[in-house]
Amino acid sequence: MTDNEHGFFRHGDNSYLAKFSESEREVLTNLVQQIIELLAERVDHHNDDPLAAMVGITVHDTPPEDEVLLRLLPNAYADQVDASEFRRYTESTLRQKKQAHAMAMRMHLQEAINGEIELDHDGANAWLGAMNDVRLALGVRLKVEENSHEDLELLAPDDPMRAVYAVYSWLGWLQESLISALMDDSE
Amino acid sequence: MVKLNDKIEEELKAIFNGDIPWVTIVWDDPVNLMTYVTYVLMELFGYNKEKAHELMMKVHTEGKAVVSTGSREEMEHDVARLHEYGLWATLQRGDQAL
Repeated sequence: MTDNEHGFFRHGDNSYLAKFSESEREVLTNLVQQIIELLAERVDHHNDDPLAAMVGITVHDTPPEDEVLLRLLPNAYADQVDASEFRRYTESTLRQKKQAHAMAMRMHLQEAINGEIELDHDGANAWLGAMNDVRLALGVRLKVEENSHEDLELLAPDDPMRAVYAVYSWLGWLQESLISALMDDSE
Repeated sequence: MVKLNDKIEEELKAIFNGDIPWVTIVWDDPVNLMTYVTYVLMELFGYNKEKAHELMMKVHTEGKAVVSTGSREEMEHDVARLHEYGLWATLQRGDQAL
C-alpha cells in the first residue's frame, strides 16, 4: 500500500504510518494544543481539602457552561443529582485522560522525522481520541447536525467557518484512514 | 401455587438481591464517524466487528442503543471509558424507560 494520499496505513504488525507536510503538522499541533488549553481552563478548586484533591474529587459538580467543554465532558446521567455526584468524582480523571491523548499526539508530531509518524496500537488509540475531541470541538462551533453537511459545503469562500469546515472534514478523513488501518488487523 | 418460568424467577431473584441490572446507553451524535463508533465498541468491550457494527447502526438509526449491561459500578466505568473516547453515553437503571 502507498501513502500517496497522505493518510495512515498499516505497516506490519502493530505499526501505523503516515507522512505529513510541515503545514499539516502545524495545523494538527495547533489544534491539539487548543484542546489541551481548553481542558486546562477548567481548573480544579480543591484547596480546602487536600485529601479530596489527592483522590481526584473536585468541587466541579455542575456541568461546564462552555458548549465545547460540555460536549467533551458530558453528563453521565439524565438525572441532575446523579450527574453532579458522578462528575464530582470522575471529571478530573476524564480531563487528565483526554489531555494525555492530546499530549501524546503533540509529542508524536513534534518528534516526527521527515514528517513521518509511526504509531503503535496505543499511540493510534490516543490519536483517535484526540482527533475525535478536536472534531467534537469544531463540530460544536460549526453547529454540525445530522443533515447540515450540505449547508456547510455551501459556505461562502470568505466565510471564516469555511476554513474551519475544511479542517474538520480533513480530520474526519484522517481519522477514517487510521481506523481502516486498525480494522485491517481485526479481520 | 403460581408456576414461575425461568425468566420471572430470574427477575425476582435480581429484585430480592438488589442487583437490578443497569445499562449503558450510547446516543447518536452527528460528529462521530460511524466507523469510529464501531471501532470504539470493539476496542472497549471486545465485541466482534459484526456485533459492534450492529450496535452502531442501532445508535445511528434509532438514536440510541444499550451497549452494555451490569452493575451500576460497572456501567459507571463503561460510561467513563466511552466519554474518554468522545462517545455520548449515559447510564441508568435497566428497568427504566430508555
